[in-house]
Amino acid sequence: MLKTLLKPFARVFEFQAKTHYKMERHSMALTAGIILAAGVGGFVEIAPLFTIDDTVEDVADMRVYTPLEQAGRDIYIREGCYACHSQMIRTLRDEVERYGPYSLAVESKYDHPMLWGSKRTGPDLARVGDKYSDDWQVRHLINPRDLVPQSVMPQYAFLLETPLRTDDLPGRLDALRMVGVPYTDDMIANAANDALGQARPDGDRASGVLDRYGEATAVRAFDGQNDRLTEMDALVAYLQILGNLTDVAQNTQPMAEE
Amino acid sequence: MMSNLTSTERARAMLITGAGVLIGLTMAAVGRNDPMGAHGWIVLLFCGVLFFIVGQKLYDAEPVEDRSVSYYDDPTKIGILLALFWAVVAMGMGVWVASQLAWPDLRFDAAWSSFGRIRPVHTSGVIFGFGGNALIATSFHIMQRTSRARMPDQVSPWFVLLGFNLFCVVAASGYLIGITQSKEYAEPEWYADLWLVIVWVVYFVLYIRTLARRNEPHIYVANWYYLSFILVVAILHVVNNLAIPASFSGAKSYSAFSGVQDAMVQWWYGHNAVAFFLTTGFLGMLYYFLPKRAGRPIYSYRLSILSFWGIVFFYIWVGSHHLHYTALPQWVQTLGVTFSVMLLVPSWASAGNALMTLNGAWHKVRDDATLRFMMVAAVFYGLSTFEGSFMAIRPVNALSHYTDWTVGHVHSGAMGWVAMITFGSIYALTPVLWRRETMYSWKAVEWHFWLALSGTVIYVFAMWNSGITQGLMWRTYTESGTLRFSFVDTLIAMHPYYIARAFGGLLFFTGACICFWNVVMTIRRVPHHTPAIDYPTTSEAMEPAVPAAE
Amino acid sequence: MSVKDRDPLTGHQTTGHEWDGITELNTRVPRIVWFFIIVTHLFALLMWILLPTWPLVTTYTKGLLGFDQRDVVKQDIELANMTRADWADRIAAHPTADILKDPELMARVTGTAHQIFGDNCAGCHGTDAAGGPGFPSLIDTAWLWGGDTDTIMETLRVGINSTHLDTRYAQMLAFGRDGILPRDDIRLVVDYVQSLSGAAAPADRIAAGGEIFANNCAACHGENGDGNTDLGAPNLTDAFWIYGGDDKAMYETIWSGRQGWMPSWEDRLSLTERKILAVYLQHLGQAAPK
Ligand code: HEC
Ligand code: HEC
Ligand code: HEC
Ligand code: HEM
Ligand code: HEM
Ligand SMILES: [Ca+2]
Ligand SMILES: [Ca+2]
Ligand SMILES: [Cu+2]
Repeated sequence: MLKTLLKPFARVFEFQAKTHYKMERHSMALTAGIILAAGVGGFVEIAPLFTIDDTVEDVADMRVYTPLEQAGRDIYIREGCYACHSQMIRTLRDEVERYGPYSLAVESKYDHPMLWGSKRTGPDLARVGDKYSDDWQVRHLINPRDLVPQSVMPQYAFLLETPLRTDDLPGRLDALRMVGVPYTDDMIANAANDALGQARPDGDRASGVLDRYGEATAVRAFDGQNDRLTEMDALVAYLQILGNLTDVAQNTQPMAEE
Repeated sequence: MMSNLTSTERARAMLITGAGVLIGLTMAAVGRNDPMGAHGWIVLLFCGVLFFIVGQKLYDAEPVEDRSVSYYDDPTKIGILLALFWAVVAMGMGVWVASQLAWPDLRFDAAWSSFGRIRPVHTSGVIFGFGGNALIATSFHIMQRTSRARMPDQVSPWFVLLGFNLFCVVAASGYLIGITQSKEYAEPEWYADLWLVIVWVVYFVLYIRTLARRNEPHIYVANWYYLSFILVVAILHVVNNLAIPASFSGAKSYSAFSGVQDAMVQWWYGHNAVAFFLTTGFLGMLYYFLPKRAGRPIYSYRLSILSFWGIVFFYIWVGSHHLHYTALPQWVQTLGVTFSVMLLVPSWASAGNALMTLNGAWHKVRDDATLRFMMVAAVFYGLSTFEGSFMAIRPVNALSHYTDWTVGHVHSGAMGWVAMITFGSIYALTPVLWRRETMYSWKAVEWHFWLALSGTVIYVFAMWNSGITQGLMWRTYTESGTLRFSFVDTLIAMHPYYIARAFGGLLFFTGACICFWNVVMTIRRVPHHTPAIDYPTTSEAMEPAVPAAE
Repeated sequence: MSVKDRDPLTGHQTTGHEWDGITELNTRVPRIVWFFIIVTHLFALLMWILLPTWPLVTTYTKGLLGFDQRDVVKQDIELANMTRADWADRIAAHPTADILKDPELMARVTGTAHQIFGDNCAGCHGTDAAGGPGFPSLIDTAWLWGGDTDTIMETLRVGINSTHLDTRYAQMLAFGRDGILPRDDIRLVVDYVQSLSGAAAPADRIAAGGEIFANNCAACHGENGDGNTDLGAPNLTDAFWIYGGDDKAMYETIWSGRQGWMPSWEDRLSLTERKILAVYLQHLGQAAPK
């Protein structure tokens, strides 16, 4: 039984050993062999993700990040929050019950790069948007242990003191457009203004944000300071949109009833 | 060392470092309103110092040595010292990172010292700084010895080694300043990525040119592995780092891929950084230093073939096991599981090949801590690949993913395998390279061995406990069928394990410091000794027909 | 070295090559390796047949089991809901008073609420629900909107000053910042409010403060300052404070106003979960030392 099963393997291997024996005398043959052998897997797994249509759901209400939210996302990356927080609720009962509807591919469609994460030292953040108040987020970032005594999360008090840079936002949105995020010329041209406007509900720039990104966009003094635009504004704006770019997950996955 | 370079070589080196200075200056000027400007100054300083060092010796006498009768070992020596330097820095960082999870306020009141910024300094520092330098250095040594040929020139090895270290410095300093792409193990920004491509191409060309000069018809196994490390890392690096900079005067760039495709590309890269950086490269090391130290022939050439091609082919498919149950389509996950399981056989075949090679040399393993490092490394390699294949099975991964179990697995591979084989190789290599009789202190090697082993065991056990506890707590249900624990409950349960891990890490780190000290003392204090034969010779090998199976 | 060389120890032939002193044996691949190759390949083959696996340009092989992780989790949750239904339905249907008296149901409530409260509410109200600066205690007897089950459930559904369309609004005006009251008046009214819960102050200040209070605050907090649960205006005569009853905190409250934000839980927690929480809070309130 074993012998018969083995035969094809042994034959393939004998061929392989012979070929290899010839190959190992030529560095370029070895090079070609390695590239070939190591090329197949990646190609077969990655290329179809672009060609199979139901890889990413088609959703009409999916919106892009506003400049302020994108700036916040860049800060999230800069600070390495992804080292402790995932943004990917898996298709497992306990995760859905704890964090909400499992994440869909479309929800990170405009995420360059994705921030699904690989370690949950802190909780998943895929649906943290609107879970807490702006004020809570600010205080939590200033010192997490003020609110959650057992927390091991670092303090980020300096964000509240650091003015947000806005002059580079048009360039950032433009680069994102080049990699496929549908920002319009209008959005790019007004990126800096919109970042300012979104954090100043009473200011005259606020209405432009709603025009360009939709009436449902949150326009608030995220960091609690109406007169300053800080990195805290951006990061909190980003945290508050997590899970809220589209409602498709909530609409297609009924809540676990208890 | 400079005196071994001809004046043309020195001039060329000045040209290259001079160009580096200009690049640094340009970056500093263009990026003055951006964190990239700081990188400009760092590049400027790095290349400036080298420029100055070479410049001082520019008009020294021409070397008189006959290059055809020796190997070129200067870059290897510096590479080993750099590897040890990075080991101390990055493992020290590891201890700090670990301590922050146990005592979160153990940091300065400054942005750069937060967990999220120093963690990648640790990971990149150990993988690239420590591991990368060790790989480059040992590959220089091994390719020359097993080819019985000297490297073709004397500038490109320096370019590779120092260029790579420039990349490491830019990477590590970048995280502290806040420059990162967030892609695990590929965090450096676009200009660092581009620079690494150049370094890597030169590395490949150097490797191939040396192999081309060999005096042995066949290429030894270690070189197959090093070659696969160089080639595949190049492919992975280029694809995963495709990105559009937001501006050429700033550090920020955006990945060409997004969402699910980006996740797949990232873990195709991430897993194979493990495979082709942390595995095949170090297998190359193992395949040279272990038989050499044990004085035994490799157990089976056929097994080498089987495991080499098995590893190269199967590994590439398994990246999707990092994305089980996620928004990645399930078909990719199935491929990830099945190939991970099939991969176990070639992995164990290579570990087994190493251990069987020790047959007839077990008494040496008992007496010689250096060989014991290598033996233990092979065992941990076997353990972590078994664990990896196990964790790749979807229901197991449902438990282990996102928890410290992964971190435990990582360190059984990284400390138990990668670091142990490197330390073993360094102890074997140091006396040969510097032409010394022996290591300065064998007692210290013995101490290092036990510190490393106990540190690893404490670390890994702590993380297994913590990971499995946390994974189970996340999914514990009450008799009512509702979740039992809140997230914070699990955080409290982790605390003692985090302390234990920091302690285990401290032991391991202490061992690394001892190693550095021992190597330095060997260079400074141990008497000179010329080995019987360590220079290029012609081969006496016959060309047998295809060796028949027995 | 030649092909014929044999390793004296194992008796195996070498391959005839030698690299820097390293030789190789030509030992055949051990049986056990073949055995595991076969086992793992058979496993893989089986998985490929049963599960979605191979991509085919625009689609992929679906596998004989027709298995998809999204269906699986959906079924898991439906099943979980079914098994929980026996007690969950009773909690949904029974009045709180009955539940509080039913030890079996209460065991369900407390067992379940620990995690729901811990993961959603404890960040603000604390693990013991005793509140903290800016977040009201939920175990005292002072309720902003009312402590009965229906009111709590409504508070949870819509939130307070939240992003929900039907949210409850609780607006404590910024009397100082918006220029309604000068500083000295605020200091007077602080003295007055503190006197409501028994603090001592000169009688003339209390009287003056009382007048300001009647003109500016009574509309919301009531003539006696005992609050108005229709507006979420807190009772100022008791010892419970959200933001603090000391001079500094209270001055800040009246100067800048307060609009505490309590999120809406309608999209996050099911009706039954909210009921469980409402019952749980009342249970905690009963148990808490007064
Ligand atoms: C050292 C690991 C660590 C880092 C780094 C970290 N966090 Fe956390 N985070 C935690 C832990 C642990 C918790 C849970 C305890 C708590 O709420 O503080 C948490 C909780 C949170 C929560 C509340 C989630 C919830 O649902 O309760 C948010 C929001 C958050 N973090 C955001 C961030 C942001 C933004 C960053 C980066 C600027 C960050 N975290 C960096 C560990 C970390
Ligand atoms: C972002 C912080 C936050 C979170 C999370 C939160 N709350 Fe609140 N909650 C508040 C604040 C602030 C108030 C008081 C609002 C005000 O000041 O008017 C409040 C008020 C309440 C009230 C009304 C109290 C009264 O006296 O009428 C109840 C009941 C309540 N919370 C329960 C909960 C429960 C249950 C949860 C979890 C499901 C929860 N809260 C989560 C911030 C929070
Ligand atoms: C428009 C209605 C309104 C008016 C007028 C008003 N308040 Fe309030 N007050 C509130 C509400 C609503 C809250 C709760 C706000 C919150 O919790 O976020 C509150 C909270 C307070 C608190 C904080 C209680 C605590 O627990 O920390 C104090 C003190 C207070 N008011 C005093 C006053 C005084 C003094 C005046 C007059 C100068 C006044 N209020 C006028 C609605 C009002
Ligand atoms: C002194 C010994 C070491 C200590 C104390 C240490 C500590 C740590 C800590 C605390 C983390 C973060 C884990 C988390 O996020 O929860 C980490 C991650 C990591 N370390 Fe180490 N480490 C040590 C040695 C090494 C070595 C020698 C290597 C590699 C050669 C290594 C490779 C890694 C990698 C790859 C990660 C990332 C793991 C992941 O993302 O899952 N470490 N280490
Ligand atoms: C057969 C060989 C191996 C397999 C199948 C394997 C499999 C796995 C799996 C399933 C994970 C967990 C992914 C997750 O849930 O997020 C993982 C993580 C990891 N493994 Fe392995 N592993 C193998 C060998 C190794 C070796 C030898 C090393 C190291 C030196 C290593 C280093 C890592 C690292 C660094 C990670 C963490 C990645 C991250 O999340 O950042 N693995 N591996
Ligand atoms: Ca990771
Ligand atoms: Ca990169
Ligand atoms: Cu992997």
